[in-house]
Amino acid sequence: MNVLIDHLGDVLGALGTTLVMFLIAGVGSIVIGVLVTVARVSPIPLLRWVAFAYVQFFINVPLLALLVLAVFALPDAGIIAPLEPTAIVVLAVYEAAYVAEAVRSGVNTVAVGQLEAARALGFNQLQSLRLIVVPQALRAVVQPIGNVMIALVMNTALAAAVGVVELTSEVNKVNLIEAQPIAIFAGAGVIYMAIALVIGLAAGWVERRVAIVR
Amino acid sequence: MFTSTSNRWRAPLVAAVFTTVALAAAGCSSSGSTGVPTAASSGSSDALYKDAIVAKAADILPGSTMAAIKKRGKLIVAEALDAPLLSQQDPSNPDSVTGFDADLAKLLAIYILGKPNVEIVPPASETREALLANGTVDVVFNTYTITTQRAAQVDFAGPYFESGLAVAVKSDNTDIKSIDDLGGKTVIVGANTPAVTTVPEKQPTAKIVSFGTDPEAVLALTQGRGDAYVQDQTLLASDALTNKAMKVVGQPFTKEAYGIGLKLGDSDFKKFINNWLVKIQKNGTWGKVWKASLGTVVQSDIPTPPAIGSVPGS
Repeated sequence: MNVLIDHLGDVLGALGTTLVMFLIAGVGSIVIGVLVTVARVSPIPLLRWVAFAYVQFFINVPLLALLVLAVFALPDAGIIAPLEPTAIVVLAVYEAAYVAEAVRSGVNTVAVGQLEAARALGFNQLQSLRLIVVPQALRAVVQPIGNVMIALVMNTALAAAVGVVELTSEVNKVNLIEAQPIAIFAGAGVIYMAIALVIGLAAGWVERRVAIVR
Repeated sequence: MFTSTSNRWRAPLVAAVFTTVALAAAGCSSSGSTGVPTAASSGSSDALYKDAIVAKAADILPGSTMAAIKKRGKLIVAEALDAPLLSQQDPSNPDSVTGFDADLAKLLAIYILGKPNVEIVPPASETREALLANGTVDVVFNTYTITTQRAAQVDFAGPYFESGLAVAVKSDNTDIKSIDDLGGKTVIVGANTPAVTTVPEKQPTAKIVSFGTDPEAVLALTQGRGDAYVQDQTLLASDALTNKAMKVVGQPFTKEAYGIGLKLGDSDFKKFINNWLVKIQKNGTWGKVWKASLGTVVQSDIPTPPAIGSVPGS
């Protein structure tokens, strides 16, 4: 840990990058994931199919492959974006597939009777999704989404491979100078653990607040 | 609700999964330990191995690291599998690993064992010190730049080679002629290379972008993600040879002395390897190895090998 403290300024800056990537990609993935789930349970076959394909694609292609494709293949197609935003977008769309699967399991906890009741009361499809299904589904899957968010934090480390200077990339650099891999990477591991712990505790707190007592 | 749809899509899905797995497997083949048997060594260097020198029995001190290696029958070396000209695995023949570092490692194995029995453990730059400290490998041949900080963690025999960082730009770039023109520019470097720390020292206003591998960095340069790519001169020369979209400008602006990493405090082994280096430098083997590897892309005479112990930390 001492070695990391010697480079505290750089390490904190890189930790900031990791946290910014996590926050933006995290919010983005939850929004996209919920939309994908809504499409997946919608009555329109085309939307259902697109959502299914989306989830299968992103769950079955490794994140590193996606990052390398986005950073090195898109420029050949004429799209060249800065590295960090590129990595954030890739992380968001990737984790969205996992969020979507978690939310879909939440949708399955909403009893069919509720939908029938909604229809009987004159709700249209959109209203019953927005007011009845999604809110209950989300409340049921706070902890699984928390786990997806923890995975997202760990996955930000892969962005180091495509040139983003986040925590892993920075400690690599520190190690290059100091040559003390065990102390340095153990220190980085502790930082990631602390972030994961905070997310896990926060998810637990939110879950207790929003839990539906049946 | 989805059972019928998912059946219909299972076949293409399975195909997609298989493609991904195949890709992943191809990517992984460069990791893990690879035993490199004698017979598979490549043609050009065979002559080198035939008349390579072998240590006298008296040099293998009883109870020393050399004696332990001899008893084991193979030298365990940390060296890359993906460094062209230095230590490159032949994709079509995984048993063949050639290049400057790889050939020297085999010659060292011959010196100790009488045969080029080398087991390769591919290191990451970030784990070399740990691999030596916990005894996973005997030596590190990995363009391991000797620094005083590293010398506090490991011992260095050598230096056995001296190189330097140079600047490469896109072929159509005429503004950048050397490191002095990189102020305020975006500079691509290889992650875990000396350039990561050297470029900011020379040009504090330059913005550094690091990529994991050399091909990625070259691609990033030619795609315009940076104005210049700073990397070892030899590596850049070999890149520029095969890629007309980039060129190397100016002369190297640093001196990197590469050493053979050894476990800290093993002074007998260090002395033994330094003696070997002096011998192969004197009898011309060092020059032949250089000519067969790095010499194929650099238009110059065989350089003078660095003097043993000539840099701080060695």
